[in-house]
Amino acid sequence: MARAARSALVLCMDVGFSMSNSEPGQEPPFEQAKKVIQKFVQRQVFAENKDEVGLVLFGTDGTKNSLAIDGQYENITVHRHLMMPDFELLEEIESELQPGGQQADWLDALVVCMDLVQKETMGKKFERLNIVLLTDLNVQTSTDQLDVIIDNLKKAGITLQFFLPFPLDGEDRADGGGDGPGPSAAPARPGKGLNEQQTQGLEMVRNIMTSLEEEDGLEEVYTFSDALEKLSIFKRIDRRPMAWPCQLTIGSSLTIRIVGYKAVTEEKVKKSWAIVDAQSHQRDDVKRETVYCLNDDNETEVQKDDTIQGFRYGSDIVPFSKVDEDQMKYKSDGKCFSVLGFTKQELIRRHQFMGDQVVKVFAPRDDKHAAVALSALIRALDSLKMAAIVRYAYDRRSNPQVGAAFPCIKDKYECLLYVKLPYMEDLRQFTFPMLENNKKFTPSESQLSAVDALIDSMMLVEKDEDGESVDIFKVNHIPNPQFQRLFQCLHHRGVNPDDPLPPVEPWLKRVLERPQAVSALCQAPLQDVKTKFPLKVVVKKKAQKTSADVFGSSADEPDTKKVKVDEETEFNLAEIAAGNITSVGSVNPVRDFCALIRQKTVSFDLACQQLTHRIEQLLGNRSPEYYTKSIACIQAFRDQSVSSGNAELFNSYLQSLKRSVPDRNLEEFWDLLIRDALTLISKDEVDGSTISKQDANQFLAFEQKEEVQAAPAQEDTGDVDDLLDMM
Amino acid sequence: MAEWREYYRNEDDEVEEDEEDSGGDYKISGRDSLVFLVDASKEMFIKGEDGEPSNFDMTMQCVRSVYTSKIISSDKDMVALVFYGTEQSKNPRNSFKHVYVYHDLDSPGSQRVLDIDKLLGEKGAQFAENTLGCGETSLGEALWCCSNLYSDIKLRLSHKRLMIFTCRDDPHGGDGAKDRQARTKAADLKETGVVIDLMHLTKPGGFDVSLFFCDIVSPPEDESELGIQIEPCRKLQDLQKRVRAKELKKRAQSRLTFSLGEGVNLAVGVYVLARTAMKPSAVKLHRDTNEAVRTKTRYFHAHNGGILLPNDMKRSQVYGKKQIVMEKDEVDEIKKFDDPGLVLMGFKPMDRLKLHHHIRPALFIYPEEEQISGSSSMFTALLLKCSEKNVFALCRYIPRRNTPPRFVALVPQREELDQSQTQATPPGFHVIFLPFADDIRTVDAHMGPTASDEQVDKMKEIVHKLRFKYKSDAFENPVLQQHYRNLEALALNMLEPEPIEDLTMPKVQMMDARLGPLTQEFKDLVYPDDYNPEGKPAAKRKTAESGGGGAEKKPKVEMSQDELKNHVAKGTLGKLTVPVLKDACKQFGIRTTGTKKQELIDALTMHFSK
Repeated sequence: MARAARSALVLCMDVGFSMSNSEPGQEPPFEQAKKVIQKFVQRQVFAENKDEVGLVLFGTDGTKNSLAIDGQYENITVHRHLMMPDFELLEEIESELQPGGQQADWLDALVVCMDLVQKETMGKKFERLNIVLLTDLNVQTSTDQLDVIIDNLKKAGITLQFFLPFPLDGEDRADGGGDGPGPSAAPARPGKGLNEQQTQGLEMVRNIMTSLEEEDGLEEVYTFSDALEKLSIFKRIDRRPMAWPCQLTIGSSLTIRIVGYKAVTEEKVKKSWAIVDAQSHQRDDVKRETVYCLNDDNETEVQKDDTIQGFRYGSDIVPFSKVDEDQMKYKSDGKCFSVLGFTKQELIRRHQFMGDQVVKVFAPRDDKHAAVALSALIRALDSLKMAAIVRYAYDRRSNPQVGAAFPCIKDKYECLLYVKLPYMEDLRQFTFPMLENNKKFTPSESQLSAVDALIDSMMLVEKDEDGESVDIFKVNHIPNPQFQRLFQCLHHRGVNPDDPLPPVEPWLKRVLERPQAVSALCQAPLQDVKTKFPLKVVVKKKAQKTSADVFGSSADEPDTKKVKVDEETEFNLAEIAAGNITSVGSVNPVRDFCALIRQKTVSFDLACQQLTHRIEQLLGNRSPEYYTKSIACIQAFRDQSVSSGNAELFNSYLQSLKRSVPDRNLEEFWDLLIRDALTLISKDEVDGSTISKQDANQFLAFEQKEEVQAAPAQEDTGDVDDLLDMM
Repeated sequence: MAEWREYYRNEDDEVEEDEEDSGGDYKISGRDSLVFLVDASKEMFIKGEDGEPSNFDMTMQCVRSVYTSKIISSDKDMVALVFYGTEQSKNPRNSFKHVYVYHDLDSPGSQRVLDIDKLLGEKGAQFAENTLGCGETSLGEALWCCSNLYSDIKLRLSHKRLMIFTCRDDPHGGDGAKDRQARTKAADLKETGVVIDLMHLTKPGGFDVSLFFCDIVSPPEDESELGIQIEPCRKLQDLQKRVRAKELKKRAQSRLTFSLGEGVNLAVGVYVLARTAMKPSAVKLHRDTNEAVRTKTRYFHAHNGGILLPNDMKRSQVYGKKQIVMEKDEVDEIKKFDDPGLVLMGFKPMDRLKLHHHIRPALFIYPEEEQISGSSSMFTALLLKCSEKNVFALCRYIPRRNTPPRFVALVPQREELDQSQTQATPPGFHVIFLPFADDIRTVDAHMGPTASDEQVDKMKEIVHKLRFKYKSDAFENPVLQQHYRNLEALALNMLEPEPIEDLTMPKVQMMDARLGPLTQEFKDLVYPDDYNPEGKPAAKRKTAESGGGGAEKKPKVEMSQDELKNHVAKGTLGKLTVPVLKDACKQFGIRTTGTKKQELIDALTMHFSK
């Protein structure tokens, strides 16, 4: 395993009283610095690397450090020694980090930090030692030791970073008219606001940084606000790529030594969620058990040892033990990267890339001959616009792939890019109806020009001053929002266990949106597109299965909805053809019923009575063909009851019908009612109803227990008896 | 293909595997069905010129390939094989003369493949003559019989297709009554949702579709589609291609709204045109009966043994030594950013799409007129303009609820037809997934010495000698092929599986022959005499060889129980490597919750601290 680079870092924060001063309406530097530290530690905790972090405060009321002898290095507190950061540290920062009432020399604090780093990294291997100073420089410093300090920093290989409330070049900027809004647009205090000590301090910072790192040193000086913005992004998941040494072969005798690295692959969160008991939060309290059972009514359990392995082969299941499978399975002879041939790059379609990774292939670092040979191949392929088709196997146990190796020549390196390609079995040949020459869909000239304008207004590349086009929306620079959100929520929950989850951070929302410049530009073209293309949402049919779907809504059995639509026309026809309808017949009871209600030749009660009589007849047949018709009747009954504001008859009929379901074996029919949601008429629909909406919704659910209770209560009402008599 | 349910069993799994949509469309449930209605008249058995296989033979090869591919890719689909124009009759009620139902509508299995094999080649023709024979033709009867096959099925059928294979354009020889009957029966079938296709084969003098069959086949799905191919199939490949294009019902993985902004929304269907075909997962069988068993997973309390319901459990992670606990719902909520859909960010020139920005196989989108009318023309306009301006559309993509967003490039593809007027590439946009910053690893690239022109030119000669035309369907997956051959051998009681040809192996001899002296010449140019590229410098390999060969070389160190106990007591299990820990678990028969290091350590600790 490649050992991860480890670093040791001491955060050194000024908590002296001047840090709490601020201009009205501005956050005091102390609060800003505290946030920087919080965010930083938070990132470290979730990055879960091996970095160690210490925290030194200066300007504290007390003194606690190993150099504090004879009144030297006073008001400097080593709050935390070098160790891996954890939630405890985060909580301490949250609750214990308070402004102090003293001032201390930041150079003294730096010395304490150096001492800490040197003593506590002894015997351990760190790749980087770093001290981070957060201060407003508002204190008298003694410069006499400066050279010694710089010298020691250099010797120990310790790097420095400064975080200040104001930019380093604040003075220059103020002089230059103040119109240059720096790279970070930080609310910098104007240079003239600095006092003498701060100006002097700045000079020293500059002095130290340039003598440590020369020119580049100044880049390690940040403002608080700038840092906050950068730190609000959680560390990206960083993995050291593993080297995969192999040999590229062409034919039997041409071999080139190579090393492959996974260069692009979809990174997953390192940790998965463990299942814990809701009360104890203990993982061990939850046990998971998998049992095997036969596919019979009793779900007879079978011991694991009594099961064997099998595979489906079409309709057959073929028993095939693990041992046999291993014996007979395809065996590859170890890792390989063998060229099968070369082909034109254009024959390899981008959308047919398979797998989840891109491997970069280099020559081994120490092998210059391999480098030359590989370089010859890369350059030859590049100039011919060709790629190698190779058989790739990661190792003896893994399945072989066929993939393409493309040449890639950059300023700083050359390599092959390997991508997996599909097997025949992976491809699906779908044919889609043609779009372009289809008269229905061919866009008009004006529509095309509207889209043309839209594309022009929404280009995500811009020309910079040099005429170079610059990408303004680089996806590969955006951190994966999933991780950012996860860590944000984990952190929030860790610190406030009882709070609900926080909303998505505004910056994260922003990076997932269209860039503002583009959204402003495309307004007008979008409006144009909107007017030129009529786009209308098609009202969807109910997704649920209705009775019509179950029995097929073929021509001879109209489904319930159709009946409603046809009502108008059919009445008229019926009236003309048959004169007045006097009773509900059995051929088309729905039509007759509706006609009776409309004509008002008989009373509503009588019409309902006749209809229910027909329904009972139909149900008496207890065969699915008649169910559809019965459902249509019930639907009509309900509709008419609602429109005439009389819920009682329908409700009591439906209730009695429900009670009779078990005796008459009408469960199947009842299911259809449920699917069509034909329930009691509630108060919301008809004022006189005694059924609440909720009751109506629950009514259809068939619960045996409730059934028994409900039945006697209903039997008292006179109407029900009447209706029952008719059955 | 794995059952989709399996993915919901393990709730902790990322929902990334999601795309396993084996069921395909959520709205359509039920099975696909396909009936091959094959003409068995004398004309079908006439051999082609220069030893070309007969139309009948070609059809059987085609049917066989559909059977075997169904077994592999969609074993739930139902297939039937019916002959018409036979002497013998065989059908469920034997009510139809000259119709022979060779295979009833059912999912294809190994026996059926064997049955087809009997009909192949010279012997097959003989066999067909004996069992089927050639007799009178009544397509009407045959279609009627097929419609009974459909109606006898008790399962819900989602997609019904019937393919007629024939080389006779006027099957009833002018008998108007029979023609009429066939038309009526075809109409009946079409009314019940069966799609009828004609796979017409060559006939001397040309096949005239307009004579009779134009009234039998289903009208094209929309007026634009080339419903009836003008040219009959001459070659097996053509026929197979044509059958294959129709045989699979294309299904959208999902239907989404594609929002351009400002309320301009169109509807698109998302399709998977390529997905890694995996060996299907094993089924557990009962030892005594070979009957499939189901698995049930349940959670129970370790102390009181009570069954734990979902809300008796929470989710937790540990960071910075602190346990953070959330409800299952909250874990889902964290992943929710927006409603499912595609949201347009803007456009970029095609050259901004980097070759190496690849993280997943692509998807494909096509407009859904049924959801938002007008989608197709908007989509077509976008497609035309994007491809004309050589740009791709950058979109934010959320495939389903509670799934975090990804950015995708929509790459335009216009329709292309091949020589036989079959669609080679469909019109639509390919959806290419783009990596986030986290997905790109820092590889410490270094610049080594580069090759001289002379060396490069020599390599160009080598490349030139070994060029070929790559085709994406040229390679079969040897692992899958071997697996199915093995199953086939077991299912059919064969002595040993048929050998497979591993197309992924380099044809070394042929390559050597083509290259001739070039290899040596190149080696002389780049390698010094004493350099052996096959030699393995030891130091370099040690660090990196984590997986493969390493396991073989290292003799397996079995841990003794005492050693392990010692590690457990001292808490130093973490120092052991994962393979060692795994072996230890195996050795002592310890069940683990997973294969992550911590899970292995936990399991071992539990076992030995009891």
